[in-house]
Amino acid sequence: MKKRSYRNPVGVGKYTGLLLIMPFIIGFSAFTLYPFAASFVLGLTDYDGVHSPGFIGADNFADMLAGSEFRGAVWTTLKYTLVLVPLKLAVSLLAAVLLNAEIKGMGVYRTIFYVPSILGSNLAIVIMWQFLFTSGGLADQIMESVGLPAIGWYGSSGSAMAIIVLLRLWEFGSAMILFLNALRDIPAEYYDAAKVDGCGRIRAFFRITLPLLGRVMFLNLVLQTIAAMQEFSAPYMITGGGPMKSTYTIGMLIYDEMFRFHNVGYANAVSWAFFVLVTAIVLVLFAVTRRRRGEDT
Amino acid sequence: MKKLFVYLAAIGCITALSACGSGKTAKFTPPDGKLDKCSLRFSWWGGDDRHEATLAALKLWEQKHPDITIIPEYGGWDGWTEKVSSQISGGTAPDVMQVNYDWLVSLSPEGDGFYDLGLLADRLDLSVFDDEVLSFGRMNGKLNAVTVSVSGRGLFYNSETFRKCGVSYPETWSELLAAGEKMSAQGCCPLDLDIQSGSTAWYLAVVYVQQQTGRQFVTMDGELGFTEDDVRAALDFYRELEDCGVTRTVRERANEDGNAALYQSPSFIDGRVGGVLEWGSSVGKYDMVLPEGTLTAGAFLRCDNGESGGWMIKPSVLYAISKDTEYPDEAAAFMDFMLSDPECAALLGTTRGIPASQRAEKALETGGLLGGLANDSDELLEELDTVTISPYMELPAVKELCNSAIEKVSYGKADTAQAAKELYTSAEEYLRKVRK
Repeated sequence: MKKRSYRNPVGVGKYTGLLLIMPFIIGFSAFTLYPFAASFVLGLTDYDGVHSPGFIGADNFADMLAGSEFRGAVWTTLKYTLVLVPLKLAVSLLAAVLLNAEIKGMGVYRTIFYVPSILGSNLAIVIMWQFLFTSGGLADQIMESVGLPAIGWYGSSGSAMAIIVLLRLWEFGSAMILFLNALRDIPAEYYDAAKVDGCGRIRAFFRITLPLLGRVMFLNLVLQTIAAMQEFSAPYMITGGGPMKSTYTIGMLIYDEMFRFHNVGYANAVSWAFFVLVTAIVLVLFAVTRRRRGEDT
Repeated sequence: MKKLFVYLAAIGCITALSACGSGKTAKFTPPDGKLDKCSLRFSWWGGDDRHEATLAALKLWEQKHPDITIIPEYGGWDGWTEKVSSQISGGTAPDVMQVNYDWLVSLSPEGDGFYDLGLLADRLDLSVFDDEVLSFGRMNGKLNAVTVSVSGRGLFYNSETFRKCGVSYPETWSELLAAGEKMSAQGCCPLDLDIQSGSTAWYLAVVYVQQQTGRQFVTMDGELGFTEDDVRAALDFYRELEDCGVTRTVRERANEDGNAALYQSPSFIDGRVGGVLEWGSSVGKYDMVLPEGTLTAGAFLRCDNGESGGWMIKPSVLYAISKDTEYPDEAAAFMDFMLSDPECAALLGTTRGIPASQRAEKALETGGLLGGLANDSDELLEELDTVTISPYMELPAVKELCNSAIEKVSYGKADTAQAAKELYTSAEEYLRKVRK
């Protein structure tokens, strides 16, 4: 058979590859690399958006570590992440297992379950969510209908955090889709063999399904952790960071310092500290789960 | 490839600092005395009443000046400062913008953050403004903005709520406390005080202490005028307001309304909250959600000994032109239209308060349009010995410190002495930093 030859339209040369990926490099440099580097430089200045920036070394980082605002925001963000991520993984996995069943009209159910993930980023939904939890709102009515006393949702730290966790928990669609795809990749023969050996459904779930979902579980864990740590819009719109800063995340701190208080240098320093924190957490997740992920191969 | 990324990162670092100062070196367009065909962006914040009136005024402008199109940019107050200050920093500010008093201090401390309107006197008639009114917009000798209206925060009550509770509008602080006790027993409260962007809880407490002491919380030069004891007295007074049921506690308010603005909350619309402390220029949004004629202006409260000072006034809103505009003549002509054109004034009414422009005010007077809540409140204010609010008191970081102190006291997380000490120290430190 005659081998087909292709002509390189730009000519084969040392820089052909580079030329072909130039559109990406230009976009990446302008919109990611440059802001990334500039942010670090600004973090070393006292820039306020009006006066020319002056170099102040690591003062912003020292102020950040000495002040209680940053520590408070980090603690709040970590608490929020620790509560939300395990819950979201559990709910999305449960939904994926249920939606993996072969019954008529399953496509419709899958779509319905995924819809909140699309709507959740819509500010109108966030505002609607806010009104669900005000006194006499739908949440109170549901509590009363099952004989429970109404809760003052916004007035206490725990319940204010719960409002935001519930909103993001409701948007479990993306994690669910990843689990669902992984579930469909597990050969049915494994379950058939287990059934023959007298293994029940629950045991099969823990002995077959969960171990085989290890990698997707890790992927979801990392993606959801990063997303949770970047939380901004929900507390900004729903609780304003209150009460007593109990829902004041790092994202809100950066926003306030940058846009409300014009501490541009400080806000950039916080952004970099935040970047280091998220990177460290992801590296820890990699290290902790290395063995389990290795077993899956 | 590695080298390429290193070079790009280095370029990023080197250009970062120079990019920061780009606003300073932006191209300045001098006036040319002509009105060319162009499109101008005009931004403002406000409630629906202001939006509707302004859009009607823009239609009138386009009928009179078909060659100059105005692109409106508008929204609510929350988040507006952040939006416009980023536009200004990034060199993408609207040509003409409604600005808040404290923006002059934070965005143009040397007077070069906005276009110098003194250069546009051919298009902008400044003779219809008092010198004192014009002085509000001057920074470092340059006219950065022109005051649209001067107003003070007044008390506006839901007459129906007071009637149902059998309570008269208070005229003194003691009467306010008594009204709180009587109305709270019936599930209502005479006033709403917030720790959101309005920061009315701290504002009212400051007025009370200013009336007692004659000292200003923050002076016009950005110095702290209150002593630590004054700050504590203000916090003590706020706690008394809560204890007497004048206002809901911070916790109750959060539970009932979440983070929503008062005029959107069922508590206000249903009449359980019987009043609001608001700028005369912005009260329309509260008036709109209640049956017509329900919201009425109340007296500015005084001490039992008759002392009535301490209430504050400020330019409620100002108009400024972006220093980066390419059409200064056209922008000035449009600003003049918005400030002083009689037909435009009739359309805008008092949605931005009683106009500071004498020509616009006369047009409203002639047309019988000089009424409503803003006017009622202004008339009451004119009888008082008012103080001009310091723009430094309006800075978001100062408001944040005050709101935080109120919240701690309300939640019982700090006593008033601790909260006062913390507020006094941090406010003094912050003001020292911004005065540099």
